[in-house]
Amino acid sequence: MPQEQKSEPTSTFTAKAGLPGSPQPLEVHPLTTDIKPWDLDSVPGFEHVGKPRPRIEGPLKVTGKAKYTFDVKLPGMLYGRMVGATVPAAEILSIDTSKAEALAGVKAVWTTDSRVVRFAGQDVAAVAAVSPDVARDAARLVKVSYRERPFTHELREAMKPDAPRVFNLDRLPAGRDMGRNGNVAGPRLGRANRGDVEKGFAEAEVIHEGTYYCPVHTHAPLETHGVVAAWEGEQLTVYASTQAIFAVREGVAEALGIDRKNVRVICEHMGGGFGSKLGPSATGSAFSVVACRLAKLAGAPVKLMLDRHQEHLCTGNAPSALMKVKLGAKKDGTLTAAHFQSWGSAGVAGGAGTSGPAGALHGKNPNFKAEEWDVFTNAGPAAPLRAPGHSQGAFGIESAMDELADKLGIDPLELRKKNEASPVRMAQYDLGAKAIGWERRNKKAGDMATGRLGAALGPRKRGIGMANGNWYVFASENSNAQVRVHRDGSVEVITGCQDIGTGYRTAMMVVAAEELGIEPGDVTLRLGDTQFPEGPGSGGSVTTNSMAPVVRLAASQARGKLFELAAPLLGAKPDELDAAHGKIFLASDTGSPASASKAKAVSFKQAAAKMSGESIDSLVKRPKQYETFRGDLAGTQFAEVEVDVETGVVRVVKLVSVNDCGLPVNPLTTQSQVIGAMIQGVSWALLENRVLDRNVGTMLNPNMESYKILAPADMFEAESILTPVANMGNNTSTAGIGEPPIVPTLAAVANAVFNAIGARVRELPLSPDRVLQALSEARRA
Amino acid sequence: MARRPPPPDEGREQPSFSRRSFLKSAGVSAAATTIVGAGERAEAAPAVLGPNPVTLNLKVNGAARAVTVEPRVTLLDALRNELDLTGAKPVCERGGCGACTVLLDGAPIASCLMLAADAEGHEVTTVEGIGTPEKMSPLQAAFVEKDALQCGFCTPGFVVAGTALLAKNPHPTLDQIKAGLAGNLCRCGTYGRIFEAVQAASRATTPSRTPSQTPSQRR
Repeated sequence: MPQEQKSEPTSTFTAKAGLPGSPQPLEVHPLTTDIKPWDLDSVPGFEHVGKPRPRIEGPLKVTGKAKYTFDVKLPGMLYGRMVGATVPAAEILSIDTSKAEALAGVKAVWTTDSRVVRFAGQDVAAVAAVSPDVARDAARLVKVSYRERPFTHELREAMKPDAPRVFNLDRLPAGRDMGRNGNVAGPRLGRANRGDVEKGFAEAEVIHEGTYYCPVHTHAPLETHGVVAAWEGEQLTVYASTQAIFAVREGVAEALGIDRKNVRVICEHMGGGFGSKLGPSATGSAFSVVACRLAKLAGAPVKLMLDRHQEHLCTGNAPSALMKVKLGAKKDGTLTAAHFQSWGSAGVAGGAGTSGPAGALHGKNPNFKAEEWDVFTNAGPAAPLRAPGHSQGAFGIESAMDELADKLGIDPLELRKKNEASPVRMAQYDLGAKAIGWERRNKKAGDMATGRLGAALGPRKRGIGMANGNWYVFASENSNAQVRVHRDGSVEVITGCQDIGTGYRTAMMVVAAEELGIEPGDVTLRLGDTQFPEGPGSGGSVTTNSMAPVVRLAASQARGKLFELAAPLLGAKPDELDAAHGKIFLASDTGSPASASKAKAVSFKQAAAKMSGESIDSLVKRPKQYETFRGDLAGTQFAEVEVDVETGVVRVVKLVSVNDCGLPVNPLTTQSQVIGAMIQGVSWALLENRVLDRNVGTMLNPNMESYKILAPADMFEAESILTPVANMGNNTSTAGIGEPPIVPTLAAVANAVFNAIGARVRELPLSPDRVLQALSEARRA
Repeated sequence: MARRPPPPDEGREQPSFSRRSFLKSAGVSAAATTIVGAGERAEAAPAVLGPNPVTLNLKVNGAARAVTVEPRVTLLDALRNELDLTGAKPVCERGGCGACTVLLDGAPIASCLMLAADAEGHEVTTVEGIGTPEKMSPLQAAFVEKDALQCGFCTPGFVVAGTALLAKNPHPTLDQIKAGLAGNLCRCGTYGRIFEAVQAASRATTPSRTPSQTPSQRR
């Protein structure tokens, strides 16, 4: 059925959009119910927006006073524990909980109705007991009898025609009308496919073909998944470690068959999710629902947190990626065609595509084709992990571009510029190149005599590389906020949307304060509670971009009501007023902030005291996202590495990230997120690899000492350069930043390794064995 | 061959090597090899605690705190579940991440690897004992100022480890900071900002006349 197009009234004006260095007039058409967007002309007038500001919850977090879900303790609370399948593929013959139930201190037991096991760690049973130790004892006493089936544990094994089938053909995860061949489903065609690649390759003078591989990563948030569930009659309260409190409410209500109105979900502080905590429980477990059932059975609140081992198995992961890339170019570097094929395993789930960056980068290339296949394995289902598929895809396409540059004898940066369509990234290249000292790189890869990186320190050789990334300006219109001004002049911003540690709550205080003309510290944010107005899940880098415009709009409406109260006191009309520094005054009186204090003014509190009731409330829903200046978010990264050619150990010396982030509300926390993404990206590039045992199909490194993540001793010099862009996509011109800076990192580091040693590592992580293997192959070649 | 002790619970299935039997045998061998840091209990006969809950007298953040727990309960669980001191976090529960770091007589330890019973006779300091939101320590204030935290779940462990580092070496070099915090992990990616915070807190104190030249080793 065709969707009915609603056309809402809009206004029109010309904004000063784009980069501050090259402003461009842009006609924008906001809804008449919205307010004029912030553009480049707004920036000089900002009192708070764009100024670095420590996050408001910092003092609670550094003193251990911030309460996370794992820290919640309710009177009479029991401790729950999940029991997961110990085999990767089986039929469950029986689950015997009698011994667990008989153990002193055990108050409730749950078992699954499902009889088919497709991955180790799948929910089988659960217990609730008086202490975590008794719950662990009881979990161990649950006896499960399996009839084991053949399994397939790894992408390339699962693609073989005779591999054991993860699903029967008629039981494949539905939703896509794709071809199926054994465990392989696809192809899915890329959204950015264009032109005719066969024709493009025929026109090419140089062709590069390469195959690249990324392993499975796990999210490994420090706070494991979990909830505390408490019933009071029909009313259920769930404290959840989640990126999406409303998804928890909806999922739990649906699974339990109860009304949403009877479910309240709370998340005040959250210990990391990175995409794995966007659903009601997790992609590979229904622990939230199980905890609610256990609490009902036991008649007591239940805290059910997964342990570290379970966290690795059933809460999601980033799919593996096997990418075949073919590039065609003229001798001058002009791309004529790109063909990108990828196979990935999201375990028992689908959605392992990686073609996003290949389709978005090198936009001048007229001929592009992407095809993606999902490959099923007997492993936990994937979940979005920080720019899902994009770091992997950029590793494939940007490694291939680096190889093409080498083959053409062209500077890799010049090759990127030659094919660049984004004016923002074009401006970013020189900033990044200058910050890393691009001219110092080895002109001939592996030969330090051809660069200015100094002499090799014994076996340790240095190199510099770069790579690009892309991301999108996503926004959720299901974003609501309430601004409440009390009669005493105190201000609350009330909105359900949770803060996952990005600096979101501080950013919203800044936006509200900017609009109301008060100090950010005078705004109290109420959040992380489904009793407040609904907001989006924090995934896809949507949160600030979704919520800042609605907070600003609500604050603007509250400000208008305050101006009506202040106008008679100032003998003026409301639309003649302005506000700053806690004062309301005639706009014509202002020229500088200093003059505002001298001019005739009433304080914010004096105006509020005139209200007829006890509070002014503005509750608004987010206006739609507008077309943005130049669409997607541009980013580029430059890396300097040191490689020990005797041990194969790679060390990142320096990484520079240049990012478009819209207009940053708080550059301090924005750059913290950029640096954080760079660190997590280097961790993926150098260390991370989920290893499943080929003989028994269970994870060999389900902990934090052998599933390696980057540690303090591995830390490098991280430099974040923001290129603010007035994108005009919403009334604050904001964009998300959580994901974009992790997209180029894998390729930037890998390309720097090539520049250092002259040998190409096409499979991640860049571990010593792979580096030595590549060196050995290069010597033989 | 040592004989296995009889099952403590009638009718309860006993795994071939249970936590409880391990604790008993480990308790004996620990008593036999105790050299330093021995509390009163270790000086006396090797008492076997449990399996029922026992009352332990802990000294936490300068105050005497009694808890009644099974003797197998870790210091981390006793602090969090009995004393509501939830600053120390359970993350890996095997000493691999530093999120549960507390000070034991001033030295950083992984509280997930220590039994609460073994903390008797020692001074335990948690992140809550280092400062409060209203009166943060210089290092805590520097963490806030430098934005050395995101989700914040690893932060208490880093604050405690950093506090121990600065107590031992008030003016560490960057390499000494990296070594001093080597036992702690962060997933959001705050290491760089944490180093800046430690350096800022270090600068805020008067330089010592003889700065330590040796990298501090934490574990």
